Amino acid sequence: MKLQYYPGCTLYTKAKPLNTSLHACFNAVGIELAELPHWYCCGTTFMLARDNRMSLIAPLRILAKAQQEDGKVLVPCSICYNTLKRANYMLKENTEVLDIINEHLEESYDGNEIVLHPLEFFRDNEELVRSKVKKSLQNLKVGCYYGCLLLRPQQEIQFDDPEAPTIFENFISSIGATPIDFPLKVECCGAYLVVNSPDAAVEASYKLLRNAQDNGADVVVTTCPLCYYNLDALQGKMKKAHPDFKEIPIFYFSQIMAIALGMEEKKLGLEQNKVSPYEILKEYNLL
Amino acid sequence: MNKILADKDLTRRIEEISDQKLSDCYQCGRCTAGCPFAEFMDVTPNQVIRFMQLGLKEDLLKTQGPWFCAACLVCQARCPRGVDIPRLMEAVRTIHLRAKEGLIDVPEIDKEFLLDAPPLAVMSAFSKFTY
Repeated sequence: MKLQYYPGCTLYTKAKPLNTSLHACFNAVGIELAELPHWYCCGTTFMLARDNRMSLIAPLRILAKAQQEDGKVLVPCSICYNTLKRANYMLKENTEVLDIINEHLEESYDGNEIVLHPLEFFRDNEELVRSKVKKSLQNLKVGCYYGCLLLRPQQEIQFDDPEAPTIFENFISSIGATPIDFPLKVECCGAYLVVNSPDAAVEASYKLLRNAQDNGADVVVTTCPLCYYNLDALQGKMKKAHPDFKEIPIFYFSQIMAIALGMEEKKLGLEQNKVSPYEILKEYNLL
Repeated sequence: MNKILADKDLTRRIEEISDQKLSDCYQCGRCTAGCPFAEFMDVTPNQVIRFMQLGLKEDLLKTQGPWFCAACLVCQARCPRGVDIPRLMEAVRTIHLRAKEGLIDVPEIDKEFLLDAPPLAVMSAFSKFTY
């Protein structure tokens, strides 16, 4: 079976480990990811000014193009997922915008392309995932960090409960690891504030990692390349600001899944992690 | 006391850009209570909204608060009145950016950081903080 997929720019650059491990996981469950031809950037973060319609053009052209190929598209990057879904919602909610946008598109678009996240796909195919698990991750305690973009705004994203989601924990259970719940799993890591106010991002990321550790997490797993950067790359600065902070390895959900499915190490992209994941994986005999 | 004169044009503009009704907010402060970045703001989210409600243009355009909003939408999810606060914060940023007042100067950004950071972080910051 083939599944159409939109990688977005970061999966080809800084989030290559997410891309390669995700391909490996989908191949293992018998699905080939067919990349949308000639895709381009979705414009990153969704613009919130209601009169800024220009920013809707890029996401909607992507969706119009995807719709010509297939009725649904898999979007692993949290920012792309959020932006594409919000653009879809805006179009359906507001017919005036729909008309304006369609004047600017070569092909007309109706807002009906289904934007699918890998976690939604794995939720709907849980038995298939379970049947492919080869290594026991039972001892590994995994903090499931959602971040903002998959959850909010709920009315538009319809992914899970914005305050008490469970889809990630269920996924981690389905691949045989032990999910750890922690209150700050739905809070912001600092996102793009890392560019202009790094202290704010360091502090926000520190708080939530500390919260995960206090609740017993060995590692923290995320879906978003921006969260991944803040949680992983800023740990040196967290240690400077809070000397008692102990480093904690960060993984993409697909890296943990690939380990459970018994993939060879070179498909995981672990060498790009700033905080070494090897010690904990060796401790639990996972490498 | 001259500042108390409300700038109704500003209030209207904020409502137009954000598509929110400022009178919906009854100042309970829940947005500020949940905001992960309130501690970095000189003026907190509910205070920013108060400036808007009162039409205090000078105070509103001086505050750094909206520039610390990462649009994480925790406040939006928790507001008992359904106010989309990040859209209000974006309205303030939009007024600045349309007057060609950006927050960051791209050439000033540390090159090493730019090479290390994922493109979506940098592009998001550019779209929120530059004109």
